[in-house]
Amino acid sequence: MEALTLYELNRRVRSVLEQALPDDCWLQAELSEVRTNAAGHCYMEFVQKDARSNALVAKARGVVWSNVFRLLRPYFERETGQPFAAGIKVMVQVRVEFHELYGYSLSVTDIDPTYTVGDMVRRRREILRQLEEEGVLTLNKELPMPQVPGRIAVISSATAAGYGDFCNQLSGNPDGFRFVTRLFPAVMQGDRVESSILEALDSIVSSGEEWDVVVIIRGGGAVSDLACFDTYLLAAACAQFPIPIVTGIGHERDDTVVDMVAHTRVKTPTAVAGLLVERMRGAGRRIDEAAAAIHYHVCRYLETEKRRLSDIVRRLPDLQALCRMREERHIDLLWQRARMAARNRLYDCRHQLQLIGQRIDGCDVQRLLARGFTLTLKDGRALTDASCVKPGESIVTRLAQGEVVSIVKETNV
Amino acid sequence: MARLERIVAQMESGELSVDQLGEALKEAQSLVKQCKAKLYQADEQIKKLLEEE
Repeated sequence: MEALTLYELNRRVRSVLEQALPDDCWLQAELSEVRTNAAGHCYMEFVQKDARSNALVAKARGVVWSNVFRLLRPYFERETGQPFAAGIKVMVQVRVEFHELYGYSLSVTDIDPTYTVGDMVRRRREILRQLEEEGVLTLNKELPMPQVPGRIAVISSATAAGYGDFCNQLSGNPDGFRFVTRLFPAVMQGDRVESSILEALDSIVSSGEEWDVVVIIRGGGAVSDLACFDTYLLAAACAQFPIPIVTGIGHERDDTVVDMVAHTRVKTPTAVAGLLVERMRGAGRRIDEAAAAIHYHVCRYLETEKRRLSDIVRRLPDLQALCRMREERHIDLLWQRARMAARNRLYDCRHQLQLIGQRIDGCDVQRLLARGFTLTLKDGRALTDASCVKPGESIVTRLAQGEVVSIVKETNV
Repeated sequence: MARLERIVAQMESGELSVDQLGEALKEAQSLVKQCKAKLYQADEQIKKLLEEE
């Protein structure tokens, strides 16, 4: 029996394969275990999973030679905003190869980033649809952005250049607005992004302090790892966070789901700082406008009052003279009345005296005596009552001419 | 001023005796003097104040 050597067998397999699959073909698969060696060659596993069970149904080794990988990687990452790394779906052009020693492998010659982009978009859409169904998609957007966002909780990595940019931009704002910031550190790259941002959000809530706004920023520059921000848990947490979130995750082209559910999304940390400063400036402007309006109205009011006052002041001397004249007249009048009263009174008295005089004249004793009446006196006083004298007492009778002294004989009372 | 008005009213009502009348008139006269003096004094003061404006 003739047997083949292993090499001969593999050789045959190789030639069969080369005949059967002479041309490159396009392949859709998921990447797993991507690694690059020192020479710049990239080795990976292509896998296919069952759509329901997620169990592996196919697997193949793949390689991108360094001369291809040098061009292909930046192109892919620029187009997708994704690192060429495990966990993403790709469409690649491959040549099927079989090496007698190394076996079956797929050599990548080209890549179509749009497929990966489409897959990412699909994934994001799925997350957003779920959030919408749960009724939380726009909750963070519906929060009112404070007029004066002075207290800022920052989620970033302490060493990120973007964080430094953000702080510099805020502290050096030309209007001199004061911002209070605190860093809630989080990992902003790699697998731990989700868990560490969730933790940071928790610490912000449990800090027990009042924050006006939460800022999620990441060092700009290199286009890389954005997929880690496209997770359901992260998006759900941000959407339902009770403080407005502003993101500046630093990617020019794509929005992650975190960007989409955040209150406001801008491109870079610097732009986030600019936004907050502008917000402050808006508040400052409104305050200035209010101050100007107050100033204007106060001035107008004062002007009116001043005019009224000066009117009054102008009229004061006249009023004062009038007042004085009125008072003086009043006093004069009183004095006239007093003099008049006194004169009248004296006149009345004189008149009365005259009357009395006339009456006295009418009663003049001498004239009565002359007419034959007599006046009888006892002890020098007029006697008017017979009972006031007793028989034997002497009385004097005054006549018109002389007196008669008589002794009383009897009295009849 | 009130006193002056009261005195004049009393004089006019005729309730004062002639003796009291003289006294009342004398008091009224001195009150008139006082009141006028005060009025002029106040007047001067006000004029001064207005000039200071």
